Amino acid sequence: MIDSKRATILGLSAVVVSATLATSAWAQKEPLKIGVPTALTGTYSQLGDEAKRAVEFAVNEANAAGGVDGRKVEVRFLDTEAKPELARQQAEKLALDGYKIMTATIASGEVLAIGPMLNRWDAMFVATINKANDITGKQCQRRLFRVNRPDNSDAAVVQPWLATRSEAKWAIVAADIAWGRNSGESFSKAAAATGKTIVSENYPPFGSNDYAAHIQKVLDSGAQGVWIALAGRDAITFARQAKQFGLFDKVTTGGVSFTTDGTVKVLGDVVKGIHTIINYSSTLDTPGNKKLVADWAKAYPGDAPTNFQGETYLGMQVIFQAVKKAGSVKPADVAKAMSGGTFETILGTQVMRKEDNQLVGPNYFGTVEAVSGTLQPVVKMTVPAQAATPAPDGSCKL
Amino acid sequence: MIQIINGLVYGSFLYVLAVGLVLIFGLRRVTNFAHGGFFMLGAYVSYAVAAYLGFWTGMVVSVAALAAFGVLLDRFVFRPLSSEEPIVTLLVTFGLLFVLEDAVRTIWGKNYISVAAPEALAGSVTIFGSQFPVYRLFVIAVAVTVALGLAIWLRSTRVGLYVRASSVDPVTTGMQGVDTDRLSALVVAIGTGLAGLSGTIAGPLMALSPSMGGYIIIDCFIVVVTGGLTSFTGAFVAALVIGQFHNLGLVYVPEVASVIPLLIMAVVLGLRPQGLAGAGK
Repeated sequence: MIDSKRATILGLSAVVVSATLATSAWAQKEPLKIGVPTALTGTYSQLGDEAKRAVEFAVNEANAAGGVDGRKVEVRFLDTEAKPELARQQAEKLALDGYKIMTATIASGEVLAIGPMLNRWDAMFVATINKANDITGKQCQRRLFRVNRPDNSDAAVVQPWLATRSEAKWAIVAADIAWGRNSGESFSKAAAATGKTIVSENYPPFGSNDYAAHIQKVLDSGAQGVWIALAGRDAITFARQAKQFGLFDKVTTGGVSFTTDGTVKVLGDVVKGIHTIINYSSTLDTPGNKKLVADWAKAYPGDAPTNFQGETYLGMQVIFQAVKKAGSVKPADVAKAMSGGTFETILGTQVMRKEDNQLVGPNYFGTVEAVSGTLQPVVKMTVPAQAATPAPDGSCKL
Repeated sequence: MIQIINGLVYGSFLYVLAVGLVLIFGLRRVTNFAHGGFFMLGAYVSYAVAAYLGFWTGMVVSVAALAAFGVLLDRFVFRPLSSEEPIVTLLVTFGLLFVLEDAVRTIWGKNYISVAAPEALAGSVTIFGSQFPVYRLFVIAVAVTVALGLAIWLRSTRVGLYVRASSVDPVTTGMQGVDTDRLSALVVAIGTGLAGLSGTIAGPLMALSPSMGGYIIIDCFIVVVTGGLTSFTGAFVAALVIGQFHNLGLVYVPEVASVIPLLIMAVVLGLRPQGLAGAGK
């Protein structure tokens, strides 16, 4: 009995001492402050919420394990509404408050607005969801990095899929923003390369209420397939209206960021059978991903990380490892450690290409199908990292 | 031709939402920025009720709940502030919009919600050789019903006469023995009830989110201003014109489609500062 009491006291003492030591170690080192200017309201608010949850998960996990490089990780979120100008203002606020290592912004236009200011703010940014080629192309910056799959990587996945399709005439519906335009152009190139014809191109305004005009144009064009690059609220509104017009029943439908884990959960059977690029899936069979999915389920019972959450978590892994490697939280030091670095991620070992600050990783293609009674995007084709991440085209001058 | 009908659908939808604003502005002279919030609240109430009792019950409950909310709004916000500068009421309604958004976010969460059309309206019909959703025809029917109902009420009933009189000169109308406070409560209730109705019909058309009112309210204000602020006929014509040109713009000049409603408003106000059917000075 006495032994048991002693053991308990010793155990409690050990916990207190460890916690005190950890706190005192944290007190000695400058904390790692992560700034997250992201869409907490507006068209992309659900995406922003997903990214926020992934950042919080990664930060809690890191702090529970004693911090990063012996530093406590702190995070602050500010709402950007996915608007580039607001994103720039919010990112500046974060940088001025010391949250100089930033990540998890949703729209490409936001990152393109933040990028040129990073040197002036003495900050750095790691894109985790943003697809516009220019981020690691002609508008690349020394302190701007990307861990997710850019648009040209998606094109590298679409082309082999498109080559297998019998539909000759295709239409495009993409958001009239940087990413949507990029995606439309890439799909057009992939179509040309595989002998397909684009018969209708539609770029509805971001945050549209009514897509009937565009849906009717696609139907009238004689297209046998349609490629959709809409996300968040736009994706849900479009899908609901397209289903009412019978579009999905009449033409083969594929897309990017259209049928994500989040939108499939909301839309259900409306998007069953739609083909999709999958940048991340909780079903991917890698040791790192299995661990993430298991840990995630412990933190959020009954839930699995979505595509945006997986990508954002991967970005946090890269940031943490770069800070550890740099032994510093100064953006200049972390950026130096990140460029050209090798990182252990949930999808395996990946390299941050020093020519354009693009992480070289695999990409996937699949279909929305039921798995154990639950609809979700299911991976059907994997494109290895080197093939899925096209070589720099020379437009990035770092 | 199908694109014309699509324009008609969007115009009809705008009308049902905008006419509530016209009613409230006509009697209370309040630019109700919270109207988008009522629209959003109506969509969520309808969604919540429909999940258990079906779309039609959801619609009735949404309209009734929002109308009741309108009575409270008139009694505890518009009436006490009626002697203040218009900017005060405007700012209060603006604040109310944020309160409504946060309340909905707390109750239903931030995630988007998608609502299916009711079984009876889920199909499609063939019009000019094209498949057209029945639900969209239903939206037109709702707008026509609302327009006719309001016209009959305002033109053929004693209360309608009081409303029209009070819209022109509330003081003199009150001196004639009309209880303008009760009249205002009724009109604001109908205005917010119509916001609930438009929120309900928006459910199967667009994603529900706490900020959904913000996506439509600008077009709605453009309709009201173009129509002539207090004119029901003006709002009807403006909604149909703006809906039509907006839709045709998306088809033929997509690059400038989003500014077409603003251009129409600018042209109309340039030619007729009182709006399409405004009374003028």
